Amino acid sequence: MNAPILDTFLFVALPYVCLFTFLLMTIHRYRAQSFSYSSLSSQFLENRLHFWAVVPFHYGILAVTAGHLIAFLIPRGILVWNSHPLRLYVLEISALACGLLTLIGLGGLLVRRAMTSRLRRVTTVTDWILFGMLLVQTAGGVAIAVFRPWGSSWFASNLSPYLWSVLMLNPDLSYVTGMPILVRAHIVLAFVIIGFFPFTRLVHLLVIPNPYLWRKPQVVRWYGRR
Amino acid sequence: MLLVLVAGTSSVRAQDTPDYYRQNCLNCHTIGGGRLTGPDLKDVTKRRDTEWLINFLQNPKSVVDSGDPYAAKLVEESRGVVMPIAPGMTRYRAEQLIRLIEAESKLEKSQFQGVKISNRPFTDADRKNGEAIFVGIRRLKNGGTACSACHSIYNLPALGGGRLGPDLTRVYERLKGRQALSAWLMAPATETMQPIFRNRPLEAEEIHALAAYFEEAARHSESDASTARITFLLTGLAIATGVIFVFDAVWKERFRGVRRPLVEDSVSRGPDSHREKTS
Repeated sequence: MNAPILDTFLFVALPYVCLFTFLLMTIHRYRAQSFSYSSLSSQFLENRLHFWAVVPFHYGILAVTAGHLIAFLIPRGILVWNSHPLRLYVLEISALACGLLTLIGLGGLLVRRAMTSRLRRVTTVTDWILFGMLLVQTAGGVAIAVFRPWGSSWFASNLSPYLWSVLMLNPDLSYVTGMPILVRAHIVLAFVIIGFFPFTRLVHLLVIPNPYLWRKPQVVRWYGRR
Repeated sequence: MLLVLVAGTSSVRAQDTPDYYRQNCLNCHTIGGGRLTGPDLKDVTKRRDTEWLINFLQNPKSVVDSGDPYAAKLVEESRGVVMPIAPGMTRYRAEQLIRLIEAESKLEKSQFQGVKISNRPFTDADRKNGEAIFVGIRRLKNGGTACSACHSIYNLPALGGGRLGPDLTRVYERLKGRQALSAWLMAPATETMQPIFRNRPLEAEEIHALAAYFEEAARHSESDASTARITFLLTGLAIATGVIFVFDAVWKERFRGVRRPLVEDSVSRGPDSHREKTS
């Protein structure tokens, strides 16, 4: 497969396949199996490492995802903010810290799942695939932040227009074809995760009550056949 | 999916050829205005036959890779830059462009003659302006992204500039002086820069100021990427670790289990604590 065809597949066809899969399958799953919309908490099965993994992971990934979303929605605002080096450094260091929180939390989640036999028994193949994807994606994001700074600026000037062009059904590949392989892989995997989303426990983020972010800690019991 | 692709193709078809040239070709090629990153296209049809030009326009890299000596010469003259495929390029589009270039070549002054490069001597004010533009403190008039988003240079503070593109401390030398550097800035030709600047070109004054700054920079050595990188990583790691301790403090009353705290409590009080309580 030559480069233009591969690019068209990865940055035009694949995004639409993933976005439509996400849209249709989340609706279908909610209509067909609404009670499966759950994170399937395993806190009841292991409650010591749980805190050290789940809390950093969730706050980290929420902040990082919100950052990507803001740069997508108001790229000019980000570029204006970044026009002063000090402000740029504050934003980039904060984003890196959140990325590292996500990575540390995710590492904890994986160790917890792998080391506890009770958890291994309730972890499905889909869960492992999802964990693998998230680990590669987060590690890739941190590597991009460290080796290809300053992502907040070049995301706003190159990737935001590309994503808008996809959303407006007029994809413009020119913004991504020159990007380093690490960045291109990060974009492709992001779309794959979006496509895989409806088949995983990630669906819980569509039904999560907002007060989860500040409610008091509570024990969640996991009911299932296993 | 088909709808999307058809919509994309039809929007390119509907675009006027002169507009298409202005948006996608003028960055690198004037018609009768001299060389920029790519050659002046005046009378290009007299230098190469139409079929060769159509093939080249549709996929320049494959013509270069095929070992074509003329394509290799073009790459050498462009200092290693291979022409990217313009968005929505088709055989039909290539034919239209060649017809346009042929017609414009016959005119005494083509509408695609481009901008003249300044010859004024550089001043300190120019160098300062150039630095402010590079860093982003002085924003580009047409809304282009500041250089430091993707490039480093010798004298940036603390964590330095971006590393998506190369360090530009020695770019004045690399591009062999003011003329070629200014031409490059007039039409940045890399795949990453072209989409940003094709609709937001640098103004002549901005190019002049940046050229002055780059001339000054070329007297220094490049910035140290590894120190900036390690500082950045360690700062992020320190903050992330601190945040985890904050989480622990915020949720110190969290539920930790039923049996284990009872056992730990009993152990810390000693084996007779239960008897004391009951007696």
